[in-house]
Amino acid sequence: MTVPVTELESHVTAPPGEEPDDSGVQKVAGRSPTQLALARFRKDKLSMAAFCVVALYVATALVAPILVKTGVLDPLTLHQDLLDVNMGGIPKGSFGGISADHWLGVEPGTGRDVLSRLVYGITWSLFIALSATFVAMGIGTVLGIISGFSGGFTDSVIGRAIDLTLSFPSTMMLLALSGVAVAFMTGTLQVPAGDVANALYVILVLGFFGWPGIARIVRGQVLSIREREFVDAARLLGASRGRLYFKEILPNLWAPLLVYFTLMMPAFISAEAALSYLQVGVKPPTPTLGNILTDSINYSVADFVFFFTPAFLIMIIVVSFNLLGDGLRDALDPKTHR
Amino acid sequence: MAINRKPIVAVAAAAVVSVSLAACGGGSTSGDGGGSSKEASKGGTLYYLTRTSAEHMDPQRMYVGRDLSNMNRLVYRGLTTFPITDDPDAKFSVVPDLATDTGTASDGGKTWEFTIRDDAKWEDGKPVTCEDFKYGISRTFATDVITGGPNYILSYLDVPVAPSGLPEYNGPYKGDHQEDYDKAVTCDGAKLTLHFRNAWPDFNYAAASLRSFDPYREDKDQGEKSNYQIFSNGPYKLEGKWDATQGGTFVRNDQYTESSDESDSRQANPDKIVYTQGLENEVIYDRIIADSGDDAYAITDRRVPPAYYTQVTGEVADRSSLVDSPYVSYLLPNFNQMKNLKVRQALYMATDVVASTTALGGDKAGTPAKSIVAPNIIGYAENPNFTAPPEGDPEAAKALLEDSGEKLPYPIKFTYAGGTPTLDKQAAALAEGWKKAGFKVTLDPLTDTYYTIIQKPSNDADVVWGGWGADWPSIATVIPPLFDSRINLTENSNGQDYGNYKSDTVNKMIDEAAQIADVDEQAAKYTEIDDQLGKDVAYIPLELTKFYFVRGSKVTNYINNPMTSGFPDLGAIGVEN
Repeated sequence: MTVPVTELESHVTAPPGEEPDDSGVQKVAGRSPTQLALARFRKDKLSMAAFCVVALYVATALVAPILVKTGVLDPLTLHQDLLDVNMGGIPKGSFGGISADHWLGVEPGTGRDVLSRLVYGITWSLFIALSATFVAMGIGTVLGIISGFSGGFTDSVIGRAIDLTLSFPSTMMLLALSGVAVAFMTGTLQVPAGDVANALYVILVLGFFGWPGIARIVRGQVLSIREREFVDAARLLGASRGRLYFKEILPNLWAPLLVYFTLMMPAFISAEAALSYLQVGVKPPTPTLGNILTDSINYSVADFVFFFTPAFLIMIIVVSFNLLGDGLRDALDPKTHR
Repeated sequence: MAINRKPIVAVAAAAVVSVSLAACGGGSTSGDGGGSSKEASKGGTLYYLTRTSAEHMDPQRMYVGRDLSNMNRLVYRGLTTFPITDDPDAKFSVVPDLATDTGTASDGGKTWEFTIRDDAKWEDGKPVTCEDFKYGISRTFATDVITGGPNYILSYLDVPVAPSGLPEYNGPYKGDHQEDYDKAVTCDGAKLTLHFRNAWPDFNYAAASLRSFDPYREDKDQGEKSNYQIFSNGPYKLEGKWDATQGGTFVRNDQYTESSDESDSRQANPDKIVYTQGLENEVIYDRIIADSGDDAYAITDRRVPPAYYTQVTGEVADRSSLVDSPYVSYLLPNFNQMKNLKVRQALYMATDVVASTTALGGDKAGTPAKSIVAPNIIGYAENPNFTAPPEGDPEAAKALLEDSGEKLPYPIKFTYAGGTPTLDKQAAALAEGWKKAGFKVTLDPLTDTYYTIIQKPSNDADVVWGGWGADWPSIATVIPPLFDSRINLTENSNGQDYGNYKSDTVNKMIDEAAQIADVDEQAAKYTEIDDQLGKDVAYIPLELTKFYFVRGSKVTNYINNPMTSGFPDLGAIGVEN
């Protein structure tokens, strides 16, 4: 995908801070490319809906710890009186024990509130996915710029590193190293044991194996950007490498990065869930979407609501992020037509 | 090691077994307690579905309750065995198998004599001899090759011990100090004599339960390579090879004659028994409940997962059975961490066994236990120290904890064998109970590394989980292996004493009990020791595990009870033709 020329120029000519963002939408004349993109995005109803869901997801994730602290949500207290002990501890009543107190029913076996657990799980899910995405994008962007800008030997080395990382059996590695790596972090590096260390491990590994895709895209972009006049001008004026990378080139990459970000988030949300299923990541009793899902898959017949809810929630979040990403790409790059 | 590998045994009166179990009644809605209504018939193929692959098929290396009893029914006959019974509450008894009687003890239980039958044959037609027994028993001493089995029996035979603690005799492969062994185990024609260091009044029960005292053919022994080799003297033999992950197929052994087997423990109904290992529990039960094709002829040793209980109704309930297993699970306070008796008492008082059992699946998964010993073991008595209500008493616990002089909330780390949502829920349920009493709980689930970690004496957990079933129906196979600090605690490992419990009083009482030659008197002594363990809160009993199984609709004469450690009795089960 090529970044439209108009966009690049606007960024070069308008220094940061002087962007006419506050000029208001009502003025017909003189709209910046950003405003044009935003206007296009707002017209796309599906994307706006997806954006609202994502916003709600983020808001929930931020508020959940406060709600748990204040006791509005209670993901840990048992309510075993609501369970049928003759039937393997599934909730009494229909629809997984849905009631005024438990809007999404209670968990089989323990009677813990499903809604509270899901909401609290969202916090961990967002924290892990977001952090992993930042790690992957950070590594990928820096290496992609260096690779594309330098060319030659450096480019080859980074290119081979990308190939190597992509061909690495990362899932096996994740599983095999989890015990050792977490022990190393809590022992040698003094990371607090438990949820933090487990989450950190997943973040680092997902991030480390997630960067090659983004590095390739960035490199492709940089190959064309580095030939442009403003880069030559900066170079002639004696700008340092660092300035060239991060002040001249990076600002022209934000559109693909933003799109890639919205596509990477859902991939990592699903990955966290999958890894929980394989016993890697944050451990019970701390709820994450992944470990709730792991439990729920056994209840397809016995307790359909409990089976369906976490999977449905993950699906909504992932689909919303994907639609948001598509919408952003359409808005930022109107030349691409589906 | 704990719950996956301890057999228990039990048995019934001698009158047992004349095939017709029709009187045993059909299934009730909650399972029929281990007998099926259909009469057995010869022929057909039985399918055995399971999850955990057998680690060993070598008789001297087996230690999983399921394998010990299954292989005894199919391929490995012993000196004695347990008869088939359809009575789930039957008292234990042993019957002669390859021996002509159940053995004669003399010298206060230190010497046992058996006469080996002259008409039993190996699958190649050669007779089973006293020398085969002598050779089989000697293999356990080769501790570098014959691993995994109940090695502690080494110390029972009267063979001189080196300063290292191991016998100087090191098995038939190296053969150092062979003369020591030749004195402890002798053959005089068909007469096998075993000399033990201490009284072993119920040795014939051990011989029926374990496969360590089974015969082995010297010319077939390839050491480590024989791990999955099955050379049969029972009614079946292996067809082809045993696949370590998949399993194998048993077919009839034409050298076996019914006249050579008066134990009535091997009806050998199916013509063929096909083992499939490595299936997930959910897959097994999806198949057995659907009951289509070959799965109608299937049995399993895996329990119904709690999420499947709702499907066990109507016709499927008629195919279910619910019996007590020999396994008790319990918690062990770590004595290196939790030194204050009042804290341990508070922990016990705060333990909500009902919540824990509900998390495991409710009353079909287990019932609250009153001792670490299962009720059908000789010597069982409710431990008088464990009188709190099963759901715990958080108020009393809190009072004890406040009285202990420790700072509240008292932080504890609970290390448990996790890895499945069910076990995680059980731990969470226990933690909630403890929190109410003023403990601050950190949960530490471990999977494959569980035993490795909790067996380290430096382990910093305050409480760990354990499960145990007796090796043979005697309380003597519960208390010393778990709580005798001298056999368990070393520099690098705490053996089976995961709580690092060390009591000179208990050790002394164990020594006293070992000297008693009468089974009942010895059991009474062990009951006293159990009382002492309760006073120290050396353990906190959780639940007696129940076995809830479903079988295919074409399976006949289905029996499972303590006689076969609660697992389906392959000596009795047949299939419709």
